[in-house]
Amino acid sequence: MALLRDSRNSRLTSPKKPFLALGLEGSANKLGAGVMKHNEDGSTTVLANVRHTYITPPGEGFLPRDTAQHHREWAIKVIKDAVSQAGISMHDLDCICYTKGPGMGAPLQSVALVARTLAIMFNKPLVAVNHCVGHIEMGREITGAQNPVVLYVSGGNTQVIAYSRQCYRIFGETLDIAVGNCLDRFARVINLSNAPSPGYNIEQEAKNGKRLVPLPYTTKGMDVSLSGILTSVEAYTADERFRPTGTPYSPEDDVITPADLCYSLQETVFAMLVEITERAMAHIGSTEVLIVGGVGCNERLQEMMGIMAQERGGRVFATDERFCIDNGIMIAHAGLLSYRTGYNTPLEKSTCTQRFRTDEVRVTWRL
Amino acid sequence: MEAYHYPQFNTVVYTAKFKDIKNAEALRSRIVKAASLDGADGEAERDAVNFAFIEAKLITSSLHLETAIYQALLSESQGSLRTKTIHSEIIWALNPTNNISEAIKLFGVSGRTTDLILVHAATSDTCDVQQKMHNIVDGRLVPMSTIPDSTNWANVKKHYKLNGELALMEIASDSDRERTVIDNIVISTVAMKSVMT
Amino acid sequence: MPSSSLSSPSPTQRLLGSAQLIYQGAEAKVYKVYLRDPELQQIAKHADHDTCSMAEDAAPVLLKYRFNKRYRHPSLDASLTRQRVAGEARALMRCLRSGVNVPGIRMVDAAGGVLGLEWVDGKSVRVLLPGGSEVMVAQDSDATDDVGPDRCEDAALAEFGVERDDLLSMIGVEIAKMHIADIIHGDLTTSNMMLRRGGKDLVLIDFGLAYHSSLVEDKAVDLYVLERAFASTHPDAEPLFNSVLASYAKRLGKHWSAIKKRLDDVRLRGRKRSMVG
Repeated sequence: MALLRDSRNSRLTSPKKPFLALGLEGSANKLGAGVMKHNEDGSTTVLANVRHTYITPPGEGFLPRDTAQHHREWAIKVIKDAVSQAGISMHDLDCICYTKGPGMGAPLQSVALVARTLAIMFNKPLVAVNHCVGHIEMGREITGAQNPVVLYVSGGNTQVIAYSRQCYRIFGETLDIAVGNCLDRFARVINLSNAPSPGYNIEQEAKNGKRLVPLPYTTKGMDVSLSGILTSVEAYTADERFRPTGTPYSPEDDVITPADLCYSLQETVFAMLVEITERAMAHIGSTEVLIVGGVGCNERLQEMMGIMAQERGGRVFATDERFCIDNGIMIAHAGLLSYRTGYNTPLEKSTCTQRFRTDEVRVTWRL
Repeated sequence: MEAYHYPQFNTVVYTAKFKDIKNAEALRSRIVKAASLDGADGEAERDAVNFAFIEAKLITSSLHLETAIYQALLSESQGSLRTKTIHSEIIWALNPTNNISEAIKLFGVSGRTTDLILVHAATSDTCDVQQKMHNIVDGRLVPMSTIPDSTNWANVKKHYKLNGELALMEIASDSDRERTVIDNIVISTVAMKSVMT
Repeated sequence: MPSSSLSSPSPTQRLLGSAQLIYQGAEAKVYKVYLRDPELQQIAKHADHDTCSMAEDAAPVLLKYRFNKRYRHPSLDASLTRQRVAGEARALMRCLRSGVNVPGIRMVDAAGGVLGLEWVDGKSVRVLLPGGSEVMVAQDSDATDDVGPDRCEDAALAEFGVERDDLLSMIGVEIAKMHIADIIHGDLTTSNMMLRRGGKDLVLIDFGLAYHSSLVEDKAVDLYVLERAFASTHPDAEPLFNSVLASYAKRLGKHWSAIKKRLDDVRLRGRKRSMVG
């Protein structure tokens, strides 16, 4: 898969030789390994993008210890698959990139340990990457969006971001829980499967929803609050009109179904997200919006965002699950961008951190 | 007498202020009687008093009155009048509470009225409005801009519950400033009555 | 929403049709309009008054029209619009009664999504502070007044006869008065404040997201939102915002320490938020 690079917003000149990077990601329940190539003509090629997801039984979330265990068990296989799919040797790599944070501590550490080991074994420089910046850069690369307002929505993050002066500034964010977390936790309440992901199953369930129940709608400036809506939608499952899946009822009954709740939750939460994104776009005068992060593959969110962007005379950019959901290739890509500006991470500084804000990264590769 | 043109409502609203009213009590009882008269006499009598009669001492500015007129016209156009006519609706809109009889008692004409404002809303230009006003009111016609001159500010403060509000406490010493602030609050209260609670 | 009938537009829609669009925001369009024909028709001559000098022309009104959002579910959109028009009017009313400088209310059509406000003649604080006129110039109705990027903010301030420090302190005082009245603005930015021409009033505007709360938490978040807006709009915003906070603190008196403590918490928690939750 070859992508044309547009250099209008880049400080990087086309490389004299191709660059190759391995990217390792494991900040949550996905373990990913990807091999990225930056070509001499400025284009990029995704040579491999392998992922294995730790899936828990319905009703259960993933715990840090078990997730770390999963990553340790699968690391060798996932990396081997990626390298062999890419058709390269470990010796061909220019650098090894890994997720420094943000994310869950134990899973981050287990993947960082793998990265350090490989760096020593093959004598390669390490590049520590901010997970959120990985999402943004991969989204820009895949969609060709030049200078969009970015809505970053995942299990752990909900942020409205825009680039300014070597920094991805956070214009708005959640004041409590992340949107993916909100959807996942509700999926557990109504016992939806965690495969392939709880959010995907909420989206499918919502398609059968017919009734919009009132839920709190809380936007504060460019921020949102989502914990109240979770409490409120959960409360409907104790309402006497609620009929769990499989319970018979006649069409004229006044009932609330799990599908209705998924539908109402999505309509309300996504409306809030589109609203704060639009406010940020108006604030900085941008018409492009890029959605990244796991919740970004939700087609209803993409549709709503598209309507908003179109009314502003702009458009929405989004990627499919290969790049939206956590993956190794985005870490390889963002890592290579900073590696090419002369950045690498000495072994003794190759730590992880659960807290790592998007706006702490100095974006040296953009104008 | 003034005429306000509202193209969006296809309406012209005539207003006039009278002072030194000498027939307030007679006027009040004539309005009450007109409502219950039968037949052609009733029609003629209701036409003669087809105005909003407003106690001018509780009005702080022509904008205060205009705001009540606007909200009443809006309610009428949306089919949501709380009272029977556009004229009673204007009086209702002026009163800070939803109680209709209280509105008429406070903001309508009473036996003690000395300063009176008449309002007539019409869908077409009517040339004889001023004559009709003079036919029923025994008083002296003055411009609407003299409204603040006859305002009973203490009563306005009382009825709009402004006593003790922080906005007035800070500027109590400056009566010009106080009147400007009162006028603004009173206008705003009338404008937002439909969404007050 | 406005006028479902096919026959003719509602009076509010007709009013909007005659209005001058001055700003299109994310959520609302803002117009300048006259609620009636601005020229008053003086029909009668008054014996003891000079009619010409007594005629009062209508003052312009600012109309804020919350147009519908097609991305939002229609019933959610309609109820949000009604709630927000009503909520904004109530917050403004509370401010007015508490002596906070805000525009007066002139007209409300909640179902039609329209709020009519007193027309404030002045300038946005955003363009009066450093860096504020760089972005969004295209959307600023006063854009043509700005001479150039070079120190145009100070020139604009001089035109109002106000020093920058005075302006910052006025901002702090108005926000303090608002918080004392238990109103949370919800969208404090330098674009949502105006310096009134002539007088020395700092007017807080755009109460679209305002709500009533006495919680220290909500007041702290309100300040935090402003702090972030300062940081994202004005370079080297820290001393500017500190001046605002200093006058806020002074006005708030003994209630300041609790809010300060919570503001520090909110700033910290902002950092925690990037964790996987």
